[in-house]
Amino acid sequence: MLLAHGLHDHTVHFYHLAALDWVDVVSALKADPKKAAQIAQSISDWPRNSVQEFKAVKEKIKGFVDKGRLGIFANGYWGHKAMKLPPEVNLLAVVHYLQALEYQRYATKAYAILGGKNPHVQNLCVGGVSTAIDPDDDSALNMEKLLEVKTLLDKIISFVHNVYLPDVAAVGSFYPEWFSIGGGVPNYLAAPDLYLDVNHSKSDLPGGTVVNNDVKTVKKIRNANDPYWRKNVAESIHHSWYKGAWIKHPWEEDTIPEYTEFDGKKKYTFVKAPRFKVGGKYVPMQVGPVSQVIVGFAQNHPLTMKWVGETLKRIPKQYRKPTILMSTLGRHAARAIRCAMLGDIAVKHWELLVNNIGKGDYSIATDFKYPDKEIRGVGFHEAPRGILSHWCIIEKGKIKKYQAVVPSTWNAGPRDGNNQRGPYEEALVGNPIADNNRPLEALRTVHSFDPCLACAIHLFDPKGHEINKVKVL
Amino acid sequence: MAKKIVIDPITRIEGHLRIDIDVEGGKVKNAWSSGQMFRGIEKILEGKHPNDAWFITQRFCGV
Repeated sequence: MLLAHGLHDHTVHFYHLAALDWVDVVSALKADPKKAAQIAQSISDWPRNSVQEFKAVKEKIKGFVDKGRLGIFANGYWGHKAMKLPPEVNLLAVVHYLQALEYQRYATKAYAILGGKNPHVQNLCVGGVSTAIDPDDDSALNMEKLLEVKTLLDKIISFVHNVYLPDVAAVGSFYPEWFSIGGGVPNYLAAPDLYLDVNHSKSDLPGGTVVNNDVKTVKKIRNANDPYWRKNVAESIHHSWYKGAWIKHPWEEDTIPEYTEFDGKKKYTFVKAPRFKVGGKYVPMQVGPVSQVIVGFAQNHPLTMKWVGETLKRIPKQYRKPTILMSTLGRHAARAIRCAMLGDIAVKHWELLVNNIGKGDYSIATDFKYPDKEIRGVGFHEAPRGILSHWCIIEKGKIKKYQAVVPSTWNAGPRDGNNQRGPYEEALVGNPIADNNRPLEALRTVHSFDPCLACAIHLFDPKGHEINKVKVL
Repeated sequence: MAKKIVIDPITRIEGHLRIDIDVEGGKVKNAWSSGQMFRGIEKILEGKHPNDAWFITQRFCGV
């Protein structure tokens, strides 16, 4: 389920939420479909890179533009000077944008078969899942359903390996300057995930920290019980709209909103500022695929090394070094790398599940009784946007305190008590802005983090419904 | 003198994000990231049975 979710999320983020910062849809109209298809065929043997399909897509966009109805492409910085792709590569990206809409559906369907529906799966419970496994029962998870899941996974994995990853490398190669722009906070934090045993001693995704852009500083995090993780997290509200001005461990803090006007020197956001203690000092951390890939690379994690290698060899020689990951484009490359890794792991875990069922292991959950005394716990997971942790204090079987420290809080958080900027803020500093009325470059850097603010903030602003409004003061 | 640019909201994301940047000489000099909504889900959870936490916290987000 987690793997189907990750495969879906990364693919949608690149094509539908971020690619249009780099791809000029309107310019695709000037493309020669035959040449565009040839370029596509030269970078991948994906069967749907035919001249016919490229021609059909070009006609479709022409229809939209001629009628002045761009639909989903209505808002975009088309014709911006920072858009550099040749028309043929723009067409290639638009063709794959539309194909990605189709393929993301397969990942979602696999997720829904396992979890009941998407989003908001229905079958979780403390200690496992509530979906029965029984090969002899039509209403339970049986081999027929598992084979359908495998067929769907194969489709999205093939898309990720043959389209998504090659496209990120191809588009990136036209913007090499963005391999050294937007790095920002030089510290990376990732959670291990996809465990192979109930004691969480071995996992398929690597976790840990790297600081100061130096892979030699790597420290492993083994699981959520690792003291290096449990002891070193804190959140600051010095610049957030909550009561007080402190930095506290998640079990110790509270969440009492206190809105004051936007003031960049004082308080200016509902997002708290999570920090991690390194060498006695609390520092900001970037989280997300870039952190997982850098932490894995630093540990010589074989699957990470395999896909970093596959990606680097697709970009021009002079840029072929892992340090390019520490940039705005690097975050996109790392997301594609992690997605390709998830593809390999999905096949492995599907086989593990089927083998277990073959041995007669139908267990789905472990029962758990809450003691009366106060207990404290933390669980984490490497979500598509990065490390997600929930910190909980339970007393007499009831929740006493609950604190979620989620990926976009780490990345979108503000300054802390020592005025250290958060990852979005730090990554923006130094970015070029060619046109103050159309700050495309700032969007590129912010979108590269894959922002998801609903989780980051713990009432909606009705003004939020305006689209793409840029106020120049 | 730096020019202040406010992008509010940032689109093609989930949720409401405002970004303020100071631009000088065609480059970003300083930046502020601001989350524009409050959810309160942690408050809702207090006093609830821990077995219910998974589906309440799930409503943080549908992504």
